[in-house]
Amino acid sequence: MNTLLLLVIIPLLISLTGLFSRSARWLPRVAAILMLVQLPVVIWLVLPVLSHSGSVATNMGIDGIGAAFLVITTLVATAALCQAAWLLPAERPNEPLITDKRFTMFYTLTGLFIIAMYGVLLAQNLGYMWIAMEATTLISATLIHYHRTRKALEATWKYLLLCSVGIAFALLGTIMIVAAQHTIPGEGTMHLGTLMQRAAQCDPRLLRLGFILCLLGYGTKAGIFPLHNWLPDAHSEAPAPVSAMLSGALLNCALVAIWRLSQLMHAAGQDHLVSQLLVPAGAITVLAAALMLVRQHDLKRMWAYSSVEHVGILLLAIGIGAGPLFILHALNHSLVKVALFLLAGSILHLYGSKSLRKLKGLIIVAPVWGGLLLAGSFAIAGSPPFGTFISEWLILRDTITAHEYLAAGVVVTGLAITTIAVVNHVARVVFGKAPTKVLERPHKSWALVPAVLLLFSLVAGLAVAPPVISLLTKLAQVGGIAQ
Amino acid sequence: MDYSWLDILAASAALLGVWMCGVIRLRTLLAGLALQVAAMAGITLYFGLVTHATHFLVLAVVVLLVKAIAIPWYLAWAAEQLETREDRGVAVAPTLTMIIGLAILATCYFGASFIAVSSLGNVGAAGMAAALVLLGMLLMIGRRLAISQVIGFLMMENGIFLYGLTQTPGMPMLVEMGVIFDVLVGVLVSGLVIFRLNRSFEHIDVTQFRGLRH
Repeated sequence: MNTLLLLVIIPLLISLTGLFSRSARWLPRVAAILMLVQLPVVIWLVLPVLSHSGSVATNMGIDGIGAAFLVITTLVATAALCQAAWLLPAERPNEPLITDKRFTMFYTLTGLFIIAMYGVLLAQNLGYMWIAMEATTLISATLIHYHRTRKALEATWKYLLLCSVGIAFALLGTIMIVAAQHTIPGEGTMHLGTLMQRAAQCDPRLLRLGFILCLLGYGTKAGIFPLHNWLPDAHSEAPAPVSAMLSGALLNCALVAIWRLSQLMHAAGQDHLVSQLLVPAGAITVLAAALMLVRQHDLKRMWAYSSVEHVGILLLAIGIGAGPLFILHALNHSLVKVALFLLAGSILHLYGSKSLRKLKGLIIVAPVWGGLLLAGSFAIAGSPPFGTFISEWLILRDTITAHEYLAAGVVVTGLAITTIAVVNHVARVVFGKAPTKVLERPHKSWALVPAVLLLFSLVAGLAVAPPVISLLTKLAQVGGIAQ
Repeated sequence: MDYSWLDILAASAALLGVWMCGVIRLRTLLAGLALQVAAMAGITLYFGLVTHATHFLVLAVVVLLVKAIAIPWYLAWAAEQLETREDRGVAVAPTLTMIIGLAILATCYFGASFIAVSSLGNVGAAGMAAALVLLGMLLMIGRRLAISQVIGFLMMENGIFLYGLTQTPGMPMLVEMGVIFDVLVGVLVSGLVIFRLNRSFEHIDVTQFRGLRH
């Protein structure tokens, strides 16, 4: 219990500072520094998980998969708030609508948003997990609306409505999983560990129906095709640090929920249903996102569709039951995607537009940013030596060993189209005729956070050795059922 | 045939749902919603009286206060502030929507056993719960105004609540309260967004939002 309190202390502090601070001057820096402290704190707090075995007995607790994603989420939030400390104050002179109060409110809500995401990852109870997941929707909806433009407002409404309706199905599914325990005397439970033990005796029809509804609900939140409709709007209209958190952290939370439910189905002996649903859904999501990436007019929208594509790959990893690869690819995707969204935010500030038609000659205007954007786009397309290459390669290998040849073929096609589309779009941004004047001189320091993230991704690509995989395998098994 | 109070209340909630699909005036729609939630609270109370479990009684009171009184009142206030009184629906006329709603209700009535837990003996209520979820979706699809969509969502939530109440031996209290709290905050946030939508677009007709189609 104490560990859980220690986890949320710093986000809560950010939230309260936002609520009570009168001036907006120091807040961004204070929040960034606090998050830089939070990162080692979280790593220190989750480390004991490695020496633990067996499931978590309480309703909230850290298990292996939770530990891994707590670190990823914190890393993403830290990077986002560090960049926000530069970006948001610089944007303010052009945005009269954002008053001091609204600006400090941004930090209040961001702190709560981080806590809600932690809640999803910590929940060992399907009911608590649902409550935390809905809380992330409600809080992040108000963050998307930060810029107060018409488009942002429209995106907020779409996000709020579609995700709430989607997640309502997950609640129905959760209740069906409780109802499925009618074959066992006594009250039904929502606790995951207990459910895993009981799974084999549950009413299989209601359990399957519950899983399908939960997949529909959490799948909407994760942006599975064709439920992804809200995602490009929300991720592109939100301010860059929020886009980074939505893509790099929130999507992972929804996927962790799907992972936990797939483990439950595994315990119930329903592996067949999981792979039957998730593998095609993942493969189709990759291909659909790739096709939608071909025609893009907007830099941030492009990265949003690329997130949909990676959600497809992660879903495939869950579908074939590859826990360690799910963690590895989620980490790699988050690192690169956060770097790209933060860069996009800086570029948007520099050019005053995110339309791909107006962005040209970045390598001349801002050589460092241009180089990073190029490197990042290679990384997101899954080229070596970045981490995404290794994890995509391993997931494809496991897909083929699982005899899912058609899915593997579809995904390879999707990845090929993505690479061509992304590199083509980005090349036009980086090269070409530079505009005669830009809004401001590019700051070198703004490249720091994306550069560090891409460096991490590079290290993650070079460091994948058997010991790392066995560590991830251990993380994926702790608290779950031994595979 | 003898029906229990439970069946009567569940069926009247579902019939209210069908009727609401044909209602144009927002205030009437909200009154329908409040009545529907009151039926839910009645069912919760019924369970409390039959099982002598206090947590059902507490839940009934919370449901009545939050979902039957506070939320419809807040939405009615919002509608008044926005000076919107009627929602004439998209393409399909509300009367026709009502007939589609009746078909949904009939299908759910006969298909109830598919999702019901037969050992608990509330098979009929499971069908009504499914009908409420689908009718809520129908209302959301069939209406123009953002407020009506929130009402549709709340009807869906009623169906889910009914399913949890009648098909499980009882959900954990903390989870029930958490869900109700989320719904309350959700309605408040969507109300806030609706006000801002009205301020920048000067209407809340969701079919007219076109800015995001590239």
